[in-house]
Amino acid sequence: MSKTERELGSMENQLVVFQLAEQTYGIDIASVFEIIRMETITRVPRTPDFVEGVINLRGKIIPVIDLCKRFNLAISERTNSSRIIIVDVDGNTIGMIVDAVSEVLRVPVDSIEPPPPMIHGINAAYLRGIAILDEKLIILLNLDKILYEHEKSELQGISLETA
Amino acid sequence: MFSDDEIAVFLDELEEKIQCINDNILILEKEGGSREALQEIFRAAHTIKGSSGVMGYEKMSSLTHEMENLLDLMRKGLLPVSGAVVDTLFMALDTLHKLRDEITGKDVSIDIGDVVASLKKCQEETPGRPADREPAPEQELPAPPGGEGTALIGDVEEEVIRDAELKGYQAYWIDIKLDPGCMMKSVRAFLIFETLQQVGEVIKSEPPAEEIQDGRFEEGFKVILLTAEDPDRVKNLLMTVSEVAGVDVKQIVLGNGFEERPAKEEQAGPVPEKKAAQSARVEHPEIKTSQTVRVDVQRLDTLMNLVGELVIDRTRLNRFAEIFEGRFGADSGEMVDTLNEISGHLGQVTGDLQEQIMKARMLPVAQVFNRFPRMVRDLAQKMGKEINFIVEGHETELDRNVIEIIGDPLIHLIRNAVDHGIEKPEAREKLKKPRVGTLKLKASYMENHIIITVQDDGRGIDPGLLRQKAVEKGLLEREAAERMPDREALNLIFMPGFSTAAEVSDLSGRGVGMDVVRSQIEQINGMVDVVSTVGTGTTFTIKLPLTLAIIRALMVEIGREQFAFPLTNVVETISVPAGEVKKVRHSEVILVRGRILPLVRLAEIFGNEEKSEKERLFVVVLGVGEKKIGVIVDKLLGELEIVIKSLGEYLGKVPCISGATILGDGQVALIIDVRSLVKEIGVEETVYAAC
Repeated sequence: MSKTERELGSMENQLVVFQLAEQTYGIDIASVFEIIRMETITRVPRTPDFVEGVINLRGKIIPVIDLCKRFNLAISERTNSSRIIIVDVDGNTIGMIVDAVSEVLRVPVDSIEPPPPMIHGINAAYLRGIAILDEKLIILLNLDKILYEHEKSELQGISLETA
Repeated sequence: MFSDDEIAVFLDELEEKIQCINDNILILEKEGGSREALQEIFRAAHTIKGSSGVMGYEKMSSLTHEMENLLDLMRKGLLPVSGAVVDTLFMALDTLHKLRDEITGKDVSIDIGDVVASLKKCQEETPGRPADREPAPEQELPAPPGGEGTALIGDVEEEVIRDAELKGYQAYWIDIKLDPGCMMKSVRAFLIFETLQQVGEVIKSEPPAEEIQDGRFEEGFKVILLTAEDPDRVKNLLMTVSEVAGVDVKQIVLGNGFEERPAKEEQAGPVPEKKAAQSARVEHPEIKTSQTVRVDVQRLDTLMNLVGELVIDRTRLNRFAEIFEGRFGADSGEMVDTLNEISGHLGQVTGDLQEQIMKARMLPVAQVFNRFPRMVRDLAQKMGKEINFIVEGHETELDRNVIEIIGDPLIHLIRNAVDHGIEKPEAREKLKKPRVGTLKLKASYMENHIIITVQDDGRGIDPGLLRQKAVEKGLLEREAAERMPDREALNLIFMPGFSTAAEVSDLSGRGVGMDVVRSQIEQINGMVDVVSTVGTGTTFTIKLPLTLAIIRALMVEIGREQFAFPLTNVVETISVPAGEVKKVRHSEVILVRGRILPLVRLAEIFGNEEKSEKERLFVVVLGVGEKKIGVIVDKLLGELEIVIKSLGEYLGKVPCISGATILGDGQVALIIDVRSLVKEIGVEETVYAAC
């Protein structure tokens, strides 16, 4: 919690803004390594539904998850604008498939509101807040929670103490 | 006060010296008073004494001091090598080990009182023990004059030297060269000074003493020493300091420049100025110390990853060349050829690079083997057995990860061989066998594997007794047991739950935790096999992959995906007509040479979409220990050398998948974990019974 508070305490937040099921989301730029185009993903059997598989990122094997499936949103077609955002969460490098990456934005801290209990079917636990910028609504995601909550029950018999 | 790096270097050296002492005490015990062995031990102890003293580890330094005193007596022939002395030396060595652990924080407050006392006691038993160090040998006549200038000898020094000469001292101009790879110049310099102070007085040095002791000098330094000692002795003393590459002692004769008094041997090692890489120690010029640098394994891993990226780029370049050719065709002419040539060469270089980096990760098995002679000696002594322990293939190299794991199983096997395999001397004589049992540990290469054998000429294992035991324990039906060939029956000792030490050693004399041995070896993709003849002995053969990072794998296609089966687990591949598949209790099986083989469709286990039935099925027969299963695949793609990569922490352990590898075209293929797959299928014993 303290981390979140500290982040909110700074004057501006820099966000990578992306589209997912016709909504606009944002994550802190500090946790983003790079953004790559879609490539062939090797399916890994017996992993949770939202784990798409693994890719080869310059010699490293990186797991890729589908954020739509993660949030149980309507599954969108993979298009030319689909991207994989490579993020770092607690020292783990993970790819997230999104519909499109639109821009990098600076958001003043005071324009960030705490999240409502439920938004577009996404549990507030996954959210850091809502940023309102020029009439635009950007949903800020809490990466730690997205990648690790529920995992214990879904990835059966797997110990993931990292969360 | 000392940096972590310096302490690490000290510990490395300590390890090396302890091993050296260990080896040489064993030689001493075997061959009696081997002068060379004594000399080696003395040197090693001296080095430890010096460096531990400088680093402030007083207990270690006083222990080695006592060892040194004792060894000195032995060296001079005043004290014969006896069992008691060797035992005391071993005891001191063990204490050194503990003291090392104390430094690394693994152990606390070691008491060295007892050991020091016994070391002293040994010394007191010396018949003609001299009161102190023997007096320096008489001065020899000066040799012909030498060359270089005496510029450094100023008026003050000259006066001091003249004074000293009156008192019977000689002045020597000593040129000391350190090993160019020396990591702790200041420590070495300190040691050298200390050594010199013991025999005389340093009146001048270049560069000045303060700078030397701070390590601010290039490869070496020069000092003027006043001493009554013989120059040879001074030289030899200095040579005992580690990483001293060369010492040149010249007598200074005032007024005449100085006269050269070369010590008997010429500068023994290669002249250090020539090449920085020459790090051969002068202590034993005939033995070439390997010229090495220490590298963090992490770095090698990173290098390996970088090579992987290169490989992928090369493939992309290939593809680009094709596209290029297709688009510009005739117009491009030589350009396409050039492009192909570049990409071909790049591929070759990348391949070589990969191989070299793999080799860099290898260590000689000596790392593990070295501790066994001592262990066998102690065990044999305790059990009242006489054993000639032979070790071969020290230099065989293995991946460091394999080295780390292989130690335990080997200890088990060797212990068993000494404990239960080899009989007592009296029993052996009755059996008309040589009184001394032979235990042989050997490592060698075989194709892409390392073979380690542990062979004894003891009583052997009786397969009949093993069968009986297995039936008694309910592990096997009587009928199945009886039908089992001897060779397979021997492998029963590896079955979990088969043996506990007490029960089995009464019976066959084997089987202490053999299932653990096997699982440890399989953990590193190895295999273990046993051959035994009652009355003549037992041989365990361990087959290990050269490395854990790269394996040979059978590539297959299932659906549109590629999978890799580690070749160590692949028994064979067969093609069978679909009609031969039979159903036994909901599971599919086929008959292979009269034996039932359970079948698995990977597609089902992994939840792939079902494939249409074909007329002929490709079956990969996999084996883990005794268990065999067949996996139906769509296509066999052939063998490939693959680099194993982890799926990462996020996915954790995925059932039946042990990792992934990156193929030539950059795609990822999963590696099947055959052990967990076989476990999952759960080949029941009933299948065996049905055979």
